[in-house]
Amino acid sequence: MLVLVILEGVVLALLAVLVVGLLRSHAEILRRLHELGAGAYDDHGLETPRMRTQPGVAEPRSVATPAHDVAGTSPSGSAVAVSVVDRPHTTLLAFLSSGCLTCGNFWNAFAQGEGEHLPGLDTRLVIVTKGPEAESPSAVQNLARGPAQTVMSSQAWADYEVPVSPYFVLADGRTGRVVGEGSGTTWSQVRDLLEQACADAGLGTPRGRRRDRLDGPGRERLADEELRRAGITPGHPSLYGRSSPDDAPTGGSEAAS
Amino acid sequence: MTRLAAEGLAVELPTGWEGEIYLRTDESVPAAGTAGTAGTTTGAPGQVRPVLQLADFALPRTRGDFGGGAVELMGPRNIFVSLFEHGPESVGTALFATPGPPWPVKAGEFGPNRLQRPLPGQGGGQWFFHHHGRAFCLYVVIGSYALRALLARPLNHALGRIDIAPR
Repeated sequence: MLVLVILEGVVLALLAVLVVGLLRSHAEILRRLHELGAGAYDDHGLETPRMRTQPGVAEPRSVATPAHDVAGTSPSGSAVAVSVVDRPHTTLLAFLSSGCLTCGNFWNAFAQGEGEHLPGLDTRLVIVTKGPEAESPSAVQNLARGPAQTVMSSQAWADYEVPVSPYFVLADGRTGRVVGEGSGTTWSQVRDLLEQACADAGLGTPRGRRRDRLDGPGRERLADEELRRAGITPGHPSLYGRSSPDDAPTGGSEAAS
Repeated sequence: MTRLAAEGLAVELPTGWEGEIYLRTDESVPAAGTAGTAGTTTGAPGQVRPVLQLADFALPRTRGDFGGGAVELMGPRNIFVSLFEHGPESVGTALFATPGPPWPVKAGEFGPNRLQRPLPGQGGGQWFFHHHGRAFCLYVVIGSYALRALLARPLNHALGRIDIAPR
């Protein structure tokens, strides 16, 4: 009996030592974690881990800015203003320059029509370069071959606090706020970011949005838009079957601006 | 407030509106009296003439002086404005005899048959006038002729912000 009591005492002593050791170990782990800034109950002194981007790619700024309308000149020298705020759609502002190599990927993509049918609310692509005092209008005109509106405006770069090119800002015209921004080396990367930003902001995707939203007149407008892109405008002979071209209504000899 | 100014034309754009002032330099300036419906020319070939365009919808990059390529994209509540300057030889002619500017315009001055390119439901209006020794044609398209009374108010609000300076 005495032997059993002694053995039980030894076991309890060993367990006590084990528990103390575990507690000390736990305390040491907590101390190390605290030194690394991961204290569970700390509410100060924390720093957000620094985001890093690939060389040549702009880092996003920490504070979003409100959206602004864009005013400046076109590459051909016209005075032009594009409305971004108080519009029923989203606008993707592509801040590009004529000189940077990375921007070349985007100029080429937009020239091939990649800037159409974007995610969001009828998202409109607007290319923004710095003004004529910092960019060559002729160089920009040679690059801006796609259907997107191009505005040369250093003021827009200042308004949106663009850090470097290429840089993209997605603005929601309904709220007048920037809902997404960032950069990338290829259009596919930026498009992925755009889709993510639209999804986060609840702006949906083009396929679902169009099917859900368009009514009869809307579908008619969409069809008209597609025909126009194909070069079929009002009065086009193909709209009048086999009848003589003379039967088609006459239209003005308008020139593109 | 966004301001557009060039070639003696200026406008303080209302919120949600956009626009462009560009120079038309080719030789196919439409004849006065028919907004873009003729292939004839007026004035000296190669004459430079400014055009001011305003819209409360997204203007496509490529469009005509009188809205071709843009008016097809209009919704029923949208408005398109083109202020087209004619050559100095037009000043003093009967067509431009009315002193301007013609705004505010009246809803009754619009018609579905006053469009350069008739589109279902739309309405248009055209005014010729002179101001500060310059001859102009104001051409307006409204997305819905039925809503002309409703649309006249924002239209006149935008037109009232246009300033024409003497040459």
